[in-house]
Amino acid sequence: MNTYEKFRKLMDNHIMLSFKGEITSDIITMVLQIMETRLDSVSEKGNVKKKIFNVLVECMQNLYHHSEAEEPGNVDTRRAMLELFYDNDFYYILTGNYIKNDAIAALRDRIDRVNSLSKEDLRRYYREILDNNIISDKGGADLGMIDMARKSGQKLFYQFHDVNDSLSFFELRVKVAKNKPKLDK
Amino acid sequence: MDNLIIEGTRQTPEINFDVESGILKLEGRSIPENTFEFFTPVLNWLDAYVNSSPDKIVAKINLEYFNTSSSKYILEILKKLKVFKVEGTEVLVEWYYEEDDEEMMETGEDYEDVSGLPFEIISFEEE
Repeated sequence: MNTYEKFRKLMDNHIMLSFKGEITSDIITMVLQIMETRLDSVSEKGNVKKKIFNVLVECMQNLYHHSEAEEPGNVDTRRAMLELFYDNDFYYILTGNYIKNDAIAALRDRIDRVNSLSKEDLRRYYREILDNNIISDKGGADLGMIDMARKSGQKLFYQFHDVNDSLSFFELRVKVAKNKPKLDK
Repeated sequence: MDNLIIEGTRQTPEINFDVESGILKLEGRSIPENTFEFFTPVLNWLDAYVNSSPDKIVAKINLEYFNTSSSKYILEILKKLKVFKVEGTEVLVEWYYEEDDEEMMETGEDYEDVSGLPFEIISFEEE
């Protein structure tokens, strides 16, 4: 693929932002700053912008706290990916990070549970976890997935890609519906 | 005892807790990676303030965004306010949300339910 083709691909896939590397505190601040400006310029109504921003904050905190190193013990290889794009109906927030194979089952259960709940049940579950869970050392408190499902109003899509005996690559895709333009008659 | 004043940043909210009036303002956004660092002094201040036995406390919470790790600490703050109530202080929580931000309104209701404190949930127009 030559450079122009690469450029066309980025344009045609409506990629608003694409990042791979270590998610540091500075990177999070920078990405949020860029996305606030970008979302302002596509003039989405306040609530869609807020939903995207909320999901993005949670996604990046997940990457920040839970990314495993590609090379065991080498924190410089805690590489992850983040991409934001859209189509006619949705904005997509896509993340990918390494995860230990023995952590997959619990994460899968958690997301499946969140995806199985109705809007009202999700709210009840949120209140329950908010009230009962102690704050974990990573501060995540298990609310992240519930919150993303609530804020986006959509099911969470995920996939685990095989890497080696100890690691897999965890893909999470959250979508937020665009505002439907009002039809003039 | 001193008032607690913390300036807001792009990651952390503005805090203005006034000893004399009992007005506790929490405004802006709360999305830091390390919420423990930010909220510990806030919770400690409230622990000390209980000894002042104020007649009335009004917590004005007006947050644009907060992450889920902050949400635990917001509940911790409300739980501290419950201690004031038990000690005889009149406590009111004013929860503000931008009028089209249904999620923030619902979150206010969630906190009202979980904390058991009297809430006023107040919408304001987008700037």
